[in-house]
Amino acid sequence: MKWIDFKAGIQDFWNEFKRVKFGLFGLILLFIFILAILINPYIVPFPEASSRWRDITYWEDNPVSAPPVWVNWFSSTKRAPSLIIEEHAFSEEKMGKIKLSRAVFEYEYSYDLPPLDVIFHGYAIGSPVIMLSIERPDGHIIELVRRPISKSDGKEVRVSIGKDSRIESYNFGAKFENLEGNRIEREMVKPTSVLFSEAKEGILVHPSPLKGTYKLIAEIILPAENDVVEDIYFTFSGGVSGWLGTDSSKRDIWSGVVAGVKWALLIGLLTALTAVSIGVTYGVVSAYLGGWKDSLMQRIFELFLSVPLLPVLIVMSAIFKPNIWIMILMMSCFFWVGPVKTVRSMGLQIKEETYIEAAQAFGASSSRIIFKHMIPLLIPYAFASMALYVPSAIVYESSISLLGLGDSTIVTWGQILHDALTGGAVLNGLWWWVVPPGLFIALMGMTFAFIGFAMDKILHPKLRTR
Amino acid sequence: MYWKYCIRRIIYGLAIFIMLIFIFSALFNATMENTLRSQIEEEIRAETMRLDTRMTPEEVTRYIAERREFKQRLYHLDKPIWSRIFWRAVNVLSLDFGKATIMRSSSGEADVWTIIAECLPRTVLLFTTAIFINIVLGLWLGLKKAQKAGGLMDKTTSIGTMIVYGMPSWWLGMLVIMFFAYTIKIFPSGGLHSVPPPTGFAYYIDLLYHMALPVLTLVLIGFWGSAFLIRNIMLGILQEDYIMATRTRGIPERKVLYGHAMRTAAPPIVTMALLSLLASVGGNIIFEGIFSWPGLGNLYWIAIEQNDIPVLMGNLFITTALYIGGLVILDLIYGFLDPRIKVGGKQQ
Repeated sequence: MKWIDFKAGIQDFWNEFKRVKFGLFGLILLFIFILAILINPYIVPFPEASSRWRDITYWEDNPVSAPPVWVNWFSSTKRAPSLIIEEHAFSEEKMGKIKLSRAVFEYEYSYDLPPLDVIFHGYAIGSPVIMLSIERPDGHIIELVRRPISKSDGKEVRVSIGKDSRIESYNFGAKFENLEGNRIEREMVKPTSVLFSEAKEGILVHPSPLKGTYKLIAEIILPAENDVVEDIYFTFSGGVSGWLGTDSSKRDIWSGVVAGVKWALLIGLLTALTAVSIGVTYGVVSAYLGGWKDSLMQRIFELFLSVPLLPVLIVMSAIFKPNIWIMILMMSCFFWVGPVKTVRSMGLQIKEETYIEAAQAFGASSSRIIFKHMIPLLIPYAFASMALYVPSAIVYESSISLLGLGDSTIVTWGQILHDALTGGAVLNGLWWWVVPPGLFIALMGMTFAFIGFAMDKILHPKLRTR
Repeated sequence: MYWKYCIRRIIYGLAIFIMLIFIFSALFNATMENTLRSQIEEEIRAETMRLDTRMTPEEVTRYIAERREFKQRLYHLDKPIWSRIFWRAVNVLSLDFGKATIMRSSSGEADVWTIIAECLPRTVLLFTTAIFINIVLGLWLGLKKAQKAGGLMDKTTSIGTMIVYGMPSWWLGMLVIMFFAYTIKIFPSGGLHSVPPPTGFAYYIDLLYHMALPVLTLVLIGFWGSAFLIRNIMLGILQEDYIMATRTRGIPERKVLYGHAMRTAAPPIVTMALLSLLASVGGNIIFEGIFSWPGLGNLYWIAIEQNDIPVLMGNLFITTALYIGGLVILDLIYGFLDPRIKVGGKQQ
């Protein structure tokens, strides 16, 4: 088959394909998925989700099991969302050798429930002292934390106001609370709920939110010439977080789900491609050779056909603990049987064509006839069936991952669902943890089903509507 | 002759099963032997505990060595590797799967075969019920679709088919549990029956009540696909000349549909039903784990969690046997319904 013919074939096919609306819809979805992989760093807050999914330090600023941000739109009590504030007013003062720098961060608070934690971040060299305080809209200034850093030659500093300012915030609240008679445990009072509440009686027990602009002030004393604290910013771990919330290990689910797109596509496409290539070649070879070779090949094919796929894959994964590449290989080893039967019957028809006879008369070798004259005719069928194997490969991988047998160096949708299942998401109604990964599996399946069925419709005109 | 065809097909199925068992035995040989060896060590340790205390240390050591040798000979562990694989396959074929390392059957037995035999009927019950409902619904919808192919209903339901095409049944199960069992609390979240199980007639009601959610999930996932297939089968038949001939003769549409078209459609539809049952065994089985339905699929979950290799292996062998058995039955029924099939092999 020459390139020109091939191009014309593609053109014809495309003209037909364009007319099937759901096929086009599938293509658009596929395009969106591919786009999501390409622009991944710009659409997720945690672009390293794929490589650091199981690294707890990467996620430590997030809240635990927080619902998605848009839950606020439907709820009467608005929760403060997770946020990063980097913008700040900076001023510096010199007192002899000692430098005193002051950074003021403004935080607009207009919610009903405060953030769970406010965390200061910076990169420190030398022995600076970091002092954090907050200026509330009502004019109160509360000194929260004083953290000296001892001789660091460059390390991340992380100060959690929620953990390290329990006493200070309790004392602030206690000034307004009538403590006679009812003793309030200090451990029971959440610092952020005191800091972001109106200063009146009940601040410790039934706080009511104080809305307005808060100033978070970071004062840094730099005792030596070379001491630096740079890259400072505050993170707020909110009551709602990210587009799809967080799971019980503080991971951002949206980042995880988007990171799963590329693995799903890789698993699906690679498995389908390998399996269909093997299957089509096998079927054609079997049809062309005929005789006892055909019988033998059919018996081997039937042996593979009699294997219950999922149980075997589960047991193999449980025993050999494969990584993702081996798993793809394992699936391909069983998926190739799919197209064999149809391809063989098509091959038997093509074999009888006169041009095959002509090629034989010219002395063409079997492999030349099979690969040059027979397989190209089956390429449209191969692509259609390939599209329909992609979803099954993805579902099989997810099923194995759901059992906890997946490759733990990557993140796939099945693994997120496994974590959801073991993390009690179903029991506790954390729907934002269960719905998105499965929905993406279903969407990906739908994408390829749309494309595959559209191709099927073109290839089998008999099933077309009258 | 139909019975000759039957025997041939059954023997062929058996041959394939035996071959697969040998392949599995070879594939998982190392793991299975490790489990066996550690089991032997444990048994010997238990025996030495019961030994006469007056024995000298040398005697004890000699006794242990003797016992180990005896047990290893018993399990053919002293033979070369191909013969070990052979004997393992023979054991499996005689339903001797050995003892479970941790898991026990409900009556407390460690025998793997007992554990599996307990789970088997539950799996069959769940999936056959679901597929029966599936086919009934699919037949109803598929006929409607085929009658007015290209109509609004046909198009929308076809899109439904594609939407559920890649949807994992266990994920839908998770959602269904979350909604029906924890949000509106009208169905139990899983299990076979209440604890303690009621007796008499109430037991069956209770069973049905627990089966409702898993069956609902399987039907919700499955019937779109069966409707679509039935539509395609029927559409192919409705375009045949003889259907047009019956229509021109003025035979009522109902009769054309049910009396003429359905008769031809029966074999492929039966095949489809059995095939979806097989597909459940081959691809849907871990779905049971979500609903803690104590069948074969759930057994995989538990065996993997507790790392119980003998149960895992036994379960694999039984699932394979079921699967191949299903394939054989499929061919037999197909041959019965469509007599052309069984002579197909002869013509050259």
